[in-house]
Amino acid sequence: MASEEESTVKEPLDLIRLSLDERIYVKLRSDRELRGKLHAYDQHLNMILGDVEEIVTTIEIDDETYEEIVRTTKRTVPFLFVRGDGVILVSPPLRTA
Amino acid sequence: MSNGGEKGSSTKTPADFLKSIRGRPVVVKLNSGVDYRGILACLDGYMNIAMEQTEEYVNGQLKNKYGDAFIRGNNVLYISTTKRSLADGA
Repeated sequence: MASEEESTVKEPLDLIRLSLDERIYVKLRSDRELRGKLHAYDQHLNMILGDVEEIVTTIEIDDETYEEIVRTTKRTVPFLFVRGDGVILVSPPLRTA
Repeated sequence: MSNGGEKGSSTKTPADFLKSIRGRPVVVKLNSGVDYRGILACLDGYMNIAMEQTEEYVNGQLKNKYGDAFIRGNNVLYISTTKRSLADGA
């Protein structure tokens, strides 16, 4: 493997910049996920997303059968500001190949 | 201050450790208990992390993230190197 030595060491935030104007996947706290187009971000990971789909996952436990019922709630939002402290993970969209 | 026979002469501080593990397979555990295994691309002083070939483990294997995954540093509990390399799925 050829080692690529760059004069300026890239930070993780520099690599997020490569995803600007691309669709991304964001994992948030409270079992929420977003998929949308990244318009802007900052060092706090505050983000502006466009054409966003939000997926909220809830797990119910039946009192009698102790069965776990996993539910997902989806909604679409055309334009969204995300506060950075709720962000866990950012990635290019998941590929289920 | 006497060093107790430490072998890592180049990793005296946590910052040195962070510089030395780039490009290595790592395990990143979050405060929430979720595990992420992948190859560390880069990280910064806030423990923000960029990884490649990342796999997410919650009790069992949940999701596979290919490409880059960025993890916000405040969620990170620890970063550990691992000798296990990820098997490339055909």
